[in-house]
Amino acid sequence: MSIAAQLSAAFFILCAAGAAFAVVAPQRLLSVLLAAVGSLAALCILAAGAILLLADGEFHVELWPVLTLGTLTFGADRLSAFFLFVTGLVYLPVSIFSATYLKKYLAHHSLRYFCVLYHVLFASIVLVLIAEDVISFLVAWELMTIASYLLVNYEFERAESSRAGYVMLAMSEAGTVAVAIAFILAAGTAGGLGFPALRSAAPAIPDALRLVIFLLSFFGFAVKAGLVPVNSWLPLAHPVAPTNISALLSAVIVNLGIYGIVRVNLDLAPTIGAAPGLVVLVIGSLSALIGILYATIQGEMKRLLAHSTIENMGIVTAGIGAAMVFVAAGHRVVAAIALIAALYHLANHSVYKALLFIGTGAVEAGTGTRDLDRLGGIIHRMPWTSAFFLVGVLSIAALPPFNGFVSEWLTLQTVLRSAVLSSTPIKIVFAICGALLALTAGLAVTCFVKVFAMGFLGMSRSPGAAAATEARFGIRAPLAILAVLCIALGVLPTYVIPAIDRASIPLIHASATTALVPPFFVADAQQQEKVPPTFLSEFHDLGAQVGNDVLPGRGLVVLHRGGERNPVVFAMSTSYLTVALAVIIAAVFIVFNLLTRRRALARGAAWDGGLRNLTPELTYTATGFSNPVRVIFGALLNPAARQQTTAAVATHFRTAIKREYTEVHIIDRFVLHPPIDILRTLAGQVRRMQVGHVNAYAAYVLIAMLVALIVGARLL
Amino acid sequence: MAVLERIADNTAGSASFAELCRSLWADKAVATEDKAARLCRLECGVNTLPDVCQWLTRDLDFIFATLIVEQTARPGWSLTYVFYKDAASPWVHVAVQLDAGVSALPSLVGLAHGPSFDWHERETEDLFGLKFEGHPRLGEFVLHEDWPEGVNPMRRDFDARARFVPRARDPRWEPPTVVVDPGAFTMPVGPVFSDFAESAHFLLETVGEDVIRTIPRFFYKYRGVEKIAEGQPADRALLLAERFSGIAAFAHGLAFCQAVEAICGVAPPPRARALRTALAELERLRSHAAAITGICNSTALAVATSQAALIEESLLRLSCEATGHRYLFGAVVPGGIACDPAEPNCRHLVAAVEEIAEGLRNLLRMLRYSSSFLDRLEGVGVVADGYARSYGLVGPIARACGVARDIRKLFPYAAYSAVDFSVPVEQEGDGYARLRVLFREAEQSVAIIHDVLSSLPQGPVRLDQIRPRAGAALAAVEAPLGAAFHWLRLDQDGKVARYRVTPPSFTNWHGFHIAAENFAFQDFPIILASFGLSNAECDR
Amino acid sequence: MANWVLKGLLSGIKSSDYPRAGDDAPGVSPGRPVGTRLNSTTAAEQLVARCPTAAIARADGGVAVDHGRCVHCFRCRRDVAEPAEWQQGFEWGAYAGEPALRKLAKIFGRSLHVRFVDAGACGACMSEARQINNPYYNMHRLGIFTTPTPRNADVLLVAGPVSDAMRLPLRKTYEALPTPKRVVAIGACAASGGIFGPSFAAAAGAAGIIPVDVVVPGCPPPPLAILHGLLLAVERKPPSALMSPPPQRTTEPA
Repeated sequence: MSIAAQLSAAFFILCAAGAAFAVVAPQRLLSVLLAAVGSLAALCILAAGAILLLADGEFHVELWPVLTLGTLTFGADRLSAFFLFVTGLVYLPVSIFSATYLKKYLAHHSLRYFCVLYHVLFASIVLVLIAEDVISFLVAWELMTIASYLLVNYEFERAESSRAGYVMLAMSEAGTVAVAIAFILAAGTAGGLGFPALRSAAPAIPDALRLVIFLLSFFGFAVKAGLVPVNSWLPLAHPVAPTNISALLSAVIVNLGIYGIVRVNLDLAPTIGAAPGLVVLVIGSLSALIGILYATIQGEMKRLLAHSTIENMGIVTAGIGAAMVFVAAGHRVVAAIALIAALYHLANHSVYKALLFIGTGAVEAGTGTRDLDRLGGIIHRMPWTSAFFLVGVLSIAALPPFNGFVSEWLTLQTVLRSAVLSSTPIKIVFAICGALLALTAGLAVTCFVKVFAMGFLGMSRSPGAAAATEARFGIRAPLAILAVLCIALGVLPTYVIPAIDRASIPLIHASATTALVPPFFVADAQQQEKVPPTFLSEFHDLGAQVGNDVLPGRGLVVLHRGGERNPVVFAMSTSYLTVALAVIIAAVFIVFNLLTRRRALARGAAWDGGLRNLTPELTYTATGFSNPVRVIFGALLNPAARQQTTAAVATHFRTAIKREYTEVHIIDRFVLHPPIDILRTLAGQVRRMQVGHVNAYAAYVLIAMLVALIVGARLL
Repeated sequence: MAVLERIADNTAGSASFAELCRSLWADKAVATEDKAARLCRLECGVNTLPDVCQWLTRDLDFIFATLIVEQTARPGWSLTYVFYKDAASPWVHVAVQLDAGVSALPSLVGLAHGPSFDWHERETEDLFGLKFEGHPRLGEFVLHEDWPEGVNPMRRDFDARARFVPRARDPRWEPPTVVVDPGAFTMPVGPVFSDFAESAHFLLETVGEDVIRTIPRFFYKYRGVEKIAEGQPADRALLLAERFSGIAAFAHGLAFCQAVEAICGVAPPPRARALRTALAELERLRSHAAAITGICNSTALAVATSQAALIEESLLRLSCEATGHRYLFGAVVPGGIACDPAEPNCRHLVAAVEEIAEGLRNLLRMLRYSSSFLDRLEGVGVVADGYARSYGLVGPIARACGVARDIRKLFPYAAYSAVDFSVPVEQEGDGYARLRVLFREAEQSVAIIHDVLSSLPQGPVRLDQIRPRAGAALAAVEAPLGAAFHWLRLDQDGKVARYRVTPPSFTNWHGFHIAAENFAFQDFPIILASFGLSNAECDR
Repeated sequence: MANWVLKGLLSGIKSSDYPRAGDDAPGVSPGRPVGTRLNSTTAAEQLVARCPTAAIARADGGVAVDHGRCVHCFRCRRDVAEPAEWQQGFEWGAYAGEPALRKLAKIFGRSLHVRFVDAGACGACMSEARQINNPYYNMHRLGIFTTPTPRNADVLLVAGPVSDAMRLPLRKTYEALPTPKRVVAIGACAASGGIFGPSFAAAAGAAGIIPVDVVVPGCPPPPLAILHGLLLAVERKPPSALMSPPPQRTTEPA
């Protein structure tokens, strides 16, 4: 048994132990136990993932056979390893955070139930990732779905929890059914339920069936990934879930949807032709735009982050769609870049989204609210939390040199690489999607400037925010871990890309490492042939090889080589940017200090136009900040406004004007509500049959029997 | 019914009006008339007051002009509500007496034209300490938050020369709000804002981008003119009348002098009356040019701003050449005019204003073809006709929403009855309508100056001596910004016993919030400029 | 829009020659009374009695004028036995108290940013202050600009006697100005309270509330006088005096 398999076994033993502890240990120790066991399990999975990904160690374990359906098989390849690693990356800080966070439930909730489910969820997620046959995959998938539903609905006594949980479960089950049918259809051709059997039988699947399999599986996995038009459960589930579960939901569970899409469409039953890839690309781009649009106008932090998850999953999906199109068109290296961009973004999103959710938990613990309109000014009272949160905000807003920038930049560049394709209609689709993604990136900046500026800066707009207290160490530690990860993933892309490339090679059958982080600067004559020497020397002058001498990597510049005439398609270096930024900031600081050395520095209050007092009511709210977006995209958001005016004595003396805007999500409005309304109407029609007379029911039975008999006779 | 039909038929002529009052309010009010002053006085009890005022405003379409509060010699209060309507109707003074012990009377803000009483009642409550029962928003009006409670400066026992006592700033102060949307907030503007803006404070309530409602806060510039005038000789108080609003100095000085002349029963010589007309129109021309400059500036139309500013400055220089002062300070005195321009000067003045009229015509022609300019004015800051009436708005603002009311026509003074001019009216009530009214009125002013100065009567320009007399009079003039009402009471030494000014800015600022509702934030300076009102004039 | 540009160009250059040379165009300034030698004491007494703001006082051989109090009522000029001497011109800016010791001209260079505060001005001072921006006076050619926030301003321009409610905003604005800063008070009201102050509702000018460096008297001071005050504040022009005594007799009368 390989080390990775041993580590996995250890992981499952730890999860089982955690669940067992949860039943027997005293309540007040539970949260600490959960954190300890969860972190150890996460470390196991991190180690296993790292070994599998970097040391080429696959493993396969066959367990007992189930009836006639085949043998339950588990194993991990490098794609699984990548997802395992990301899962561990999130579970470690979330488990540490839970130790402090769960204490708030001690008074009125049973933690046993929670802790058992927490470990079950962790185990089921890992099982999904290492399942190697249809049965174990579906069983693990269902286990994960139910465990996550129960955890989201942990505060089930609240009405909105139950409703959110119901929507989540209903949509997830619909997805599971679709995935199951897709697998059964695929297995029908293969004659076996193991993944290797499916893989080898894939070329034999007829095109029409292949399309059906693609559509069903994509629908099923899209529900989990929260893509439009099946995203409705996500913004509902996040605000009601405990914050650590929200973090897992956004940073781990939605990833499983992406895992499914990649596993089926690029591995088990690769699609043929550009159409499926384009569908994925368009759905991804639309998800990104719609997600960020609704995120921007939200005032509740968790709901905002949930909508932003839809956006980020959209970007990842767009990358995968691009990869599928490039594979279909035979541009394997570009396809590899697209997939690397997508997976890179997925990892980044997991890291910063976990950071932001834990940060939100810290803010809520410190101020008692998650409503941005009631926050403000907490940077003075929660400096550590604010600093870590700022790292997360800069990362998710895709500002260099943070991690979100690297992957979004790669994704956008890949979409622009559609120039290599020959079909004009496809190029047009790519161009439109590129525009949507660019708009998304712009709105993301607006959205998260709002979150930080309105939530953390300015004046406190509620007593809770004015009396905010800094988060405890148990919350600051996971925030610090994630912030460091955000920076590391952003500053050192040349070390991350080869690792992700290893996960993508088995799927794309091409490596992008030499394309993205080329070993120019290693004396490799063969590799250098294609590159003009002047260009090479230019990069030498820029010091692109520096990291190569010091660190075991491939320089510090990410670039993509093109042909003879245009040797570099794109290039960037967040590493050097970081150095440059540090130098500039230091220089400004030094110059400023030199200039003001001999002058006394006076600090005065903010200029308020000579007002009596500057009160928080006179400063921008989050709603006010994002209202221009609401106005510009009014046609899309289509809010229903209702104005209420009250006056004293005469209409002239208004005492209150209240306008309420209610927005129904565009997807709900156009996709979900129409069929629901039709069903309701139909049900209303059918109800007329329920007259309540025994005679009528007897007549129904008679008619039904007659129909059955006639139909039966015909068929026979 | 018969009475109501008679009202509909004929309200013309003060005699019949007084009779009408007697027949209708026989047992509740006493009607007296003064034919010479075209005035009908109705004395009624506190309880009848709302009915009488409702009748006047709702049924007869009278407009409320001003509320005059006086502390009577025997302890108590006298309140006079002044109404006016048209050229055929008299002034109507509805008078109420309050005994010393009574300090409350019914508020009229619930009436059909209730808003027009609103600010007068709030001001009276602040300055005299009289309570208006049923008024929903009293206090914190003229006197700001840190003024001590219960100290009412207009009362006799308050010493006008009492010096300011530094008071602590109230840390509990919070802006008043009306909009209660989730996420709504208030954008404060002022009191120190813009480049050269007068001190006033606006709270713009918004949920971002669009302003839902504006809550203005004025009286930052309250200098207690009405109080410090008390006890001063008339010629010293004239300085206050001229200088409380320097940009309409001649109009207000003229109103003050007319009140003095009415009290003393003298009439200025014809040449003086003609010159007063010419100078009043010169001031109107300059004021309108300044307003046009302001509107062009608010839309950032640089060349037009410069062109209008050139016209404004030439008018200032012209005023200085004609009277020695750029703002016509010191030009008007009780009994006439202080300076007598020679014939060539008059010809020069006429020629110069004709040239300026040509410049204004050119400017308007170019503005009308600048779509970027019109886009920003049309439909911006709309005041509906109904509001103009219920708020009793005056001047160019009222005339831009279809209310053709002008004191020069209603109660002609100086030489206005002898000159032929028209009162321009526009219907839309938006910023562009106000701009067109300004241009058309400027045109009329030039015509009046031309008419008056080309047939200037010969003779003295002022009466030699005016013997002071005790008495009271109301004088009304059409100041550049609209109707101004000056109520003056002199004691037997010719000293001011009570001076009450209701300037047009006071009346019209009240209506500002109607125009400043539901607009995009960047239109705020334009709405402000298209109103073109003065805070100095409003605050006094 | 092209026709606007053409219109602007066709208007030609309108700017005043001041401060390179004087400006005696008719109507740029109302002028002001100055200390006058009078032949009779009754004439002097008449002038003192007629002055409503006590700006005119008896002095050796005639009357002296306190410009800070004069409100341009013309009562010492019209209908009197011996009118006060009337002086045209507009360079009225004067130091209030001791001039600042440190030269500011270098610090503010040729670019001066002004924040205007209306502390209860009647509108005429405001209007004249606004005129320094019109093409005739065009403060920009002298490197003078207005700013919407006092944070960027070098000079605080105050008009008005400082009404009760404007004390706090004025003080806050002054404190918001970065040092070094200068305060220029324009108009008789800001210089002495004018005809309004001191009273229950207004102070006796800006000096009682914030330190004032330069006073530009006049009611209102014409635009060129305000420009002179601003230039004086940064020592680009020499000061005038606030008090004007009657001129000394140079030769004995025959």
